[in-house]
Amino acid sequence: MPAVSMRTTKRVKRAFFYLGMLVILGICLFPFFIMLMTSFKSSREAIATNPTFLPKDWTLQHFVDIFNPSIFPYLTYLQNSFMVSLTASTISVGFAIFGAYALSRLNFRGRLQINASFYTVYMFSGILLIVPLFKIISGLGLYDTRTSLIIVMIVQTLPTAILMLNSYFETIPKDLEEAAKIDGLNRVKIIFYIIIPLSFAGIVSVFVYCFMVAWNDFLFASIFFSSSENFTLPVGLYSLFSTPDYIWGRMMAASIVTALPVVIMYAISESLIKGNVTDGGVKG
Amino acid sequence: MGKVKREISDSKLAFILLLPSGLLILMLIGYPMLSNFYISFFEQPINPNLPADFIGFQNFTETLTDPEFYKSLGLTLLYTVLVVAGSTYLGLYVAILFNRPFRFRKLARSLIILSYVTPSISLIFGWKYMFNNGYGIINYIGRDVLHIFDTPPLWFDDPTSSFVLVVLFAIWRYFPYAFIAFLAILQTISPTLYEAAEMDGANIWQKFKVVTLPAIMPVMMTVITLRTIWMFYMFEDVYLLTNKVNVLGIYLYETAFAFNDLGKASAISVLLFLIICTLIIVIRKRVDLNASS
Repeated sequence: MPAVSMRTTKRVKRAFFYLGMLVILGICLFPFFIMLMTSFKSSREAIATNPTFLPKDWTLQHFVDIFNPSIFPYLTYLQNSFMVSLTASTISVGFAIFGAYALSRLNFRGRLQINASFYTVYMFSGILLIVPLFKIISGLGLYDTRTSLIIVMIVQTLPTAILMLNSYFETIPKDLEEAAKIDGLNRVKIIFYIIIPLSFAGIVSVFVYCFMVAWNDFLFASIFFSSSENFTLPVGLYSLFSTPDYIWGRMMAASIVTALPVVIMYAISESLIKGNVTDGGVKG
Repeated sequence: MGKVKREISDSKLAFILLLPSGLLILMLIGYPMLSNFYISFFEQPINPNLPADFIGFQNFTETLTDPEFYKSLGLTLLYTVLVVAGSTYLGLYVAILFNRPFRFRKLARSLIILSYVTPSISLIFGWKYMFNNGYGIINYIGRDVLHIFDTPPLWFDDPTSSFVLVVLFAIWRYFPYAFIAFLAILQTISPTLYEAAEMDGANIWQKFKVVTLPAIMPVMMTVITLRTIWMFYMFEDVYLLTNKVNVLGIYLYETAFAFNDLGKASAISVLLFLIICTLIIVIRKRVDLNASS
């Protein structure tokens, strides 16, 4: 084959590749594009029968409105979500660091069995536990409190958090610990001075995983909460869906602002992990 | 001497370190799972202070003779198979496409996983709006621009179109999970293996079958197993999108909290658990057979 035509085939191939990539990205991002554009449209324009992609008159009104407590209870939901998610993920990661350290570094009987039992937890998905957990929570007098959701979110994230951290800790060379032991550090100090700093990126990504699970939870929040001042974002926004003064632009603005914290956190946690960004086990 | 001493203190320390996690998991996952079996034999009032009546296997017979249960089971199995197959296939395809250097690769990768990272509740409002019967952009494009249909389907108000949308939503939302997993493992395959296969005259499909597939098989099995479990138990995405697709998660949720029949809901939980265990064993067996043949 002459060199010129080979170069042309190469070019055509590359053009097809980029075209395919654009199609895939287009499909992936189309709903986001519509959401974003609708959040900038006036309420009247959002329900026009021949919709346009771009707003005719751009407005930021919806983004202002959702933070105004007198017309939209968004701030309350946002605060509740932050409170529940931050508390639950902090406690979960704390417990998981200790648990995962024990499983990856200490010798004790039943270690393998405990390790294996964490994997089976995947089969006890949250939905299977709604009846007993509802009974336990109301039996403890925690019904309609944010504490109920915090507790359940800790437990729902703990097994995965331990598994993920376990695999991170395995990548830390054992020699480092031996050296630290010779320097006179005890196990607890080793966790704080060696393990935690060295697996910082892993710990952040586990934290983000826990945060996302709590932030996204609709199932348990819908069971445990009855008064709207306790609602987290998913139940809160869903409850607004059926109200008559439902405004699309406002809901889109609320959806985008709801997504921002987790998207930003995920981006940060990815940027912390150098090179191969994808190891670290399984996530929901 | 010193070694023995350390091992003893190791197990003591391990016990202390594992205590908080272990206790919480036992109390709020282990105990509830067992108590499901117990509750399923009772007529359980929603108020936990009221006494429950023992009714034997009635909750199970009630569930197993309910045609709605079988309809829901069939729907859920179809949903699971379609979403697992669709999201795994798409994830693998896009990962293979990404497994080469090109401009803006990192940016493209981040954009692909956006649907996976964004909370369901946000995505659901977007989809509901796009597929709105009155002023949705999909109706506009399909009817007025591309003329695919004259009278558009009722989308989320019709069982069939709802089911299609719910499947598409899940594939769109979850294929990035498979994509991330496959891309990571693809990058570990040495290019020399492909070069060697090429020298032996292998075409693209043969290279995939001989080099790629065996290398990604373990990851593929994990992806398929976990996605199967997650899809089989799916509640939120479907419940939030439509009330026309009654998958088992919704059937269970509504039995418990719309009809307040906690005993029957527990019986359903036990049945679902048994079904998923069988399903997992079948998947694992299949793989072992494939691997040995």
